Amino acid sequence: MPQVDFALIGHPESWNRAAAVISVLRGADRPPVAEQHVREIIPWIPSRTASRVTVGSSQGFQVRGAYIDSFIPPDRLHSRFLRENLARVRAAAACAIKEGARIVTLGGFSSILLEGKADLLPSHAETAFTTGNTLTVALIVKGIERAVALAGRDLGESNVLIVGASGDVGSGCARCLAPRVKRLFLSARNPDRLKGFASELPTLRSPVMADTDLKKLSGMADVVICAASTPAPELVFDALPLSSIVCDAGYPKNVSPDFVPREGAIFYGGLGQASGGIQLDPDLLGVIYPYSVGNVAHGCFLEGVALAMEKRFEPFSQGRGLITPQRVEDIWQIAQKHGIGLPPLFNGAGSVEEGMRCLGRGVPQ
Amino acid sequence: MQAVTVPACSKDQTHIWADVLAQAVTGELIGALNYTTLAELYEDAAEKAEALEHAQGERGHAASFTEAGRALGIEVVINLEAQYWKRIRSIFLSRAQAGDLIGCILAQEVMLESFAVASYSVVAEAAPGELGATFARIAGEEGEHVAHAIELLQAERARDPGAFDAKVHQMHEEIMTALAEMIARDDPGGHCGLCQGSCVKHSLPDAGISLSEIRGVSLQRYLRTLDEIGVPGESSLVWVAQLPV
Repeated sequence: MPQVDFALIGHPESWNRAAAVISVLRGADRPPVAEQHVREIIPWIPSRTASRVTVGSSQGFQVRGAYIDSFIPPDRLHSRFLRENLARVRAAAACAIKEGARIVTLGGFSSILLEGKADLLPSHAETAFTTGNTLTVALIVKGIERAVALAGRDLGESNVLIVGASGDVGSGCARCLAPRVKRLFLSARNPDRLKGFASELPTLRSPVMADTDLKKLSGMADVVICAASTPAPELVFDALPLSSIVCDAGYPKNVSPDFVPREGAIFYGGLGQASGGIQLDPDLLGVIYPYSVGNVAHGCFLEGVALAMEKRFEPFSQGRGLITPQRVEDIWQIAQKHGIGLPPLFNGAGSVEEGMRCLGRGVPQ
Repeated sequence: MQAVTVPACSKDQTHIWADVLAQAVTGELIGALNYTTLAELYEDAAEKAEALEHAQGERGHAASFTEAGRALGIEVVINLEAQYWKRIRSIFLSRAQAGDLIGCILAQEVMLESFAVASYSVVAEAAPGELGATFARIAGEEGEHVAHAIELLQAERARDPGAFDAKVHQMHEEIMTALAEMIARDDPGGHCGLCQGSCVKHSLPDAGISLSEIRGVSLQRYLRTLDEIGVPGESSLVWVAQLPV
């Protein structure tokens, strides 16, 4: 049996990204494949190890892992494909067990599909599954702290809107930020679940406001965290005040590529950077993360990596509603110990750090 | 003798089924030749006998398809010189002449049988009446061949995984490339030598057959078979990604 320290279960974020991966696998000497052909083929590919992963710890050693793709087609991230997608995730989990992985991260929609029901996965005494969402929350919160600081603002004076607030990541962010911000607005599709959750949260000055009307809430916020389970980037915030900060932490991305906050800034949240380096073989890192910042990966993946570096092969993040500020701090300390931290803030167009500083100086973007 | 139900079939559809059956019958007869060659490579008497039995089975499948075609008023064309099948047979023979038993098993029992099972299953869903039942039955029987080969190949891989995977890759590049070209949208090598008129692939949707589904199901079955044998998923993924489209 092969033996790896960790495995990461993922799926293509978009057809565009899937086509880019297939083109890399084909090699430079073959003509690239049209996206239409990729759309025809991807649904048939069984879950499998797609790449070998090596990540360096700042403590001077490396951990080895496998990136396992469940090949959930990007246009089937809907509840009506639940059974089919669960079967794909289970098959990917079986691959991880076959690889001998001690800790397995359920990336992207994989954990959402399971809704914390780890018993739906194949079990193995030597393999622990984590959603990885606690480190994702840590990286989102650290990103917001940094963005607000760069803009010369005080987090305690910020009005923060969380989209997807009843989900595991959104609710984790809410627990961490509720005591620290001026006002917290929560948005989600399920009103009952949202209001029940909102009533549990303390804030500094005013009660948490929960509503399914995103337009109404966004008109009152100056910081937005997007952590919703949307199958495609479709959110726009036309009512958002000038100079707002938007953190898109969705996978797939939540915010429409056509949306630009008026005189504000948008950055990709929930991503971490490993100072010891991340190598993939075949080298898919550049097409999965085609960004100006190197050695980045999603927080959920890096949680599995950090736990493997720490030899804590345990189901650290287990499902909806269990992410507390203390757990976030614990995983952040583990990650920091191994050189995993927050990258400079960026989005698809490059670094946004200077843009954030401009917000503070009142310079239009 | 049970009466054969002949469903109504338009002239255009009859033309499509004629070309589909020509591929199936020719493929089965190439399979019969390959199994006969395999029998010569086996040293074990039981394996020899089984390969000959499989060869007989493939001829039986060809006869069943021919009979199903006649029930629709189709005289099925057979052409063992048809370019893709001739190329596949030629690759197989070159491996046999080199005494490469494992290469031949990979070609016939993993690659060609995976393709047959998958494509017959897709066609079975669209084919009318008795023809559909014939495709479904034969798809099931071909599946048994694959199961037989897997155990033998697992044992072979366990002896030397690196050499085994290299051999699979070599056979993949030859056999799977030929099959991928055969079911690509267009024929890169010109007329296949079996279609009675223009290429049938563009007309398949008229008979309810999706060529992309045939490609997809075939690749899925092939990848799952390689997974079962133990070939690393990242290797087979790259190989499949590199096939012609």
